[in-house]
Amino acid sequence: MTNIVVLVKQVPDTYSERKLSDSDHTLDRESADAVIDEINERSVEEALKIKEAGEGEVTVLSVGPDRATDAIRKALSMGADKAIHVSDESLHGSDMVATAKVIAAALGKVDSYDLVIAGNEASDGRGGAIPAMLAELLGVPQLTHARQVTVEGTSIKVDRETEDGITHVEASLPAVVSVTEKINEPRYPSFKGIMAAKKKPVETLTVADLGVDAGEVGLGSAWSTVLEASPKPPRTAGQRVEDEGDGGSKVAEYLVGQKLI
Amino acid sequence: MRFAVSAEQRQFAESLHELLARADTPAAGRAWARGEHEPGLKVWRELADLGVPALLVPERRGGLGASATDLVVVFEVLGHHAVPGPLAESVAVAPSLLAPELLPALASGELIASVALPPLVPFALDADVAGVVLRVRDGRTERVEIAEGPVRSVDAARRLFRVEPEGTPLGAAPAEAFELGVLAVSAQLLGAGQWLLERASAYAKQREQYGRPIGSYQAVKHLLADVATRLELARPLVHGAAVAVTGGEAVARDVSAAKVAAGEAAYLAARTALQVHGAIGYTAEHDLGLWLTKVRALTGAWGGAGHHRARVLAALEDM
Repeated sequence: MTNIVVLVKQVPDTYSERKLSDSDHTLDRESADAVIDEINERSVEEALKIKEAGEGEVTVLSVGPDRATDAIRKALSMGADKAIHVSDESLHGSDMVATAKVIAAALGKVDSYDLVIAGNEASDGRGGAIPAMLAELLGVPQLTHARQVTVEGTSIKVDRETEDGITHVEASLPAVVSVTEKINEPRYPSFKGIMAAKKKPVETLTVADLGVDAGEVGLGSAWSTVLEASPKPPRTAGQRVEDEGDGGSKVAEYLVGQKLI
Repeated sequence: MRFAVSAEQRQFAESLHELLARADTPAAGRAWARGEHEPGLKVWRELADLGVPALLVPERRGGLGASATDLVVVFEVLGHHAVPGPLAESVAVAPSLLAPELLPALASGELIASVALPPLVPFALDADVAGVVLRVRDGRTERVEIAEGPVRSVDAARRLFRVEPEGTPLGAAPAEAFELGVLAVSAQLLGAGQWLLERASAYAKQREQYGRPIGSYQAVKHLLADVATRLELARPLVHGAAVAVTGGEAVARDVSAAKVAAGEAAYLAARTALQVHGAIGYTAEHDLGLWLTKVRALTGAWGGAGHHRARVLAALEDM
């Protein structure tokens, strides 16, 4: 019996224009369509595969505003069994350290867990540090950037892929795993799955329910502050060179001018 | 009467959209037209994994026991992506005609069915991929064999087959079988029309003439706005007809009205999409033609506008 907790984040759709709000430079969630982060669909898929290969239960854990229920619903439609949703106004603007603390506290509400599966990084913040911070707080092994995961009894084997190559790592459960987009192809929710998700339990908790002090989270307690934000300047048009038989030398001249050759 | 699409229906439509957007249905449709069924059947298997062929099969026979409103939401997506194969026949019609012992195989997608209902549906669509071919005649269902085919359709991906005059009697055919077929095709037309509108709008924003995108000219804009209006006005009729089929009141009137409205809206979308695209839209290499011919074929399939207008008129005279 493997109890798996999947961390799910709702993010602005990468197809829509994403921006920071003018007032406090936090993510402007209202201006874009909110979807479950694609990497989390893969995290859920991996959890379901492990569950289907043996026995177990998959719990979805999401920290986010009320509308994050849509992302949770999608994970449940794919086949996860139940969900915990931490939603609290005081969490607005929390940094990664505070978020990791909240997630760690929320894991205390799960009866017991053998494995926590997260995405390697969310497509909005792209910090990519939550899985490592969480493992540190929980005092369990971290196996990040996994492109393959194998659970055998009480141990876990992971192929960890980074720019430097592939490392084979092994740890004993419980552990935290983060997966990359090479891990699998997520399933699409079926009609049956969508209907069944309606009846699956979603427990909504506040930071007070978790025993976390509201003063430790949120924008005010963040370790870093965004002072200013401005949109990326538009790309300037390149220099156009007409080829009148001397195109090659003009290109060379340009590259010399840029000190590239 | 409740018209609105539920959150679950919207979610399932999204799921199907995601699946089909990645499935390269235009390539599957082209292969299907050449008689190479494998890419199309792969799409069918993926649709079966999500529960599409199980929709109208009762739960005790391994199905989902879904409603006609679920069906139209699904068929709009199938039409949008021009999925080839006997969809209306196998998914919408066969569950009410087949012997109960065959229903689990139909629901799992293992068994594909095709149906002829002469005189309005004279041929069995894609009967060569169907494990069972049925014919409904004088209110009775028969199991029949292929006699000849394929016969040419305006849509090359619709492979039509004549069936043998004699069949094996199976039992009484419920009247709703025909209505569900018409309803499914109406929803398919709506989806195909929506795709044509989206493609034509995207093209109008991209194609430039006299230094400006052609979509910035009112003459082009208004053509597309007319299509959008027609599709928007046809959709409630299709959803309303689905409610009627579920509830059992004025079914023929509502289903026929839906077919006429969806057919005309989709046909206008096809004509307009072709006009907006110009000559490129005529080429065999461009995907537009796959939808243009499908809309033309579906407009006439399962009774043309004349037949369905007559049914609406007859229903109004009876009131």
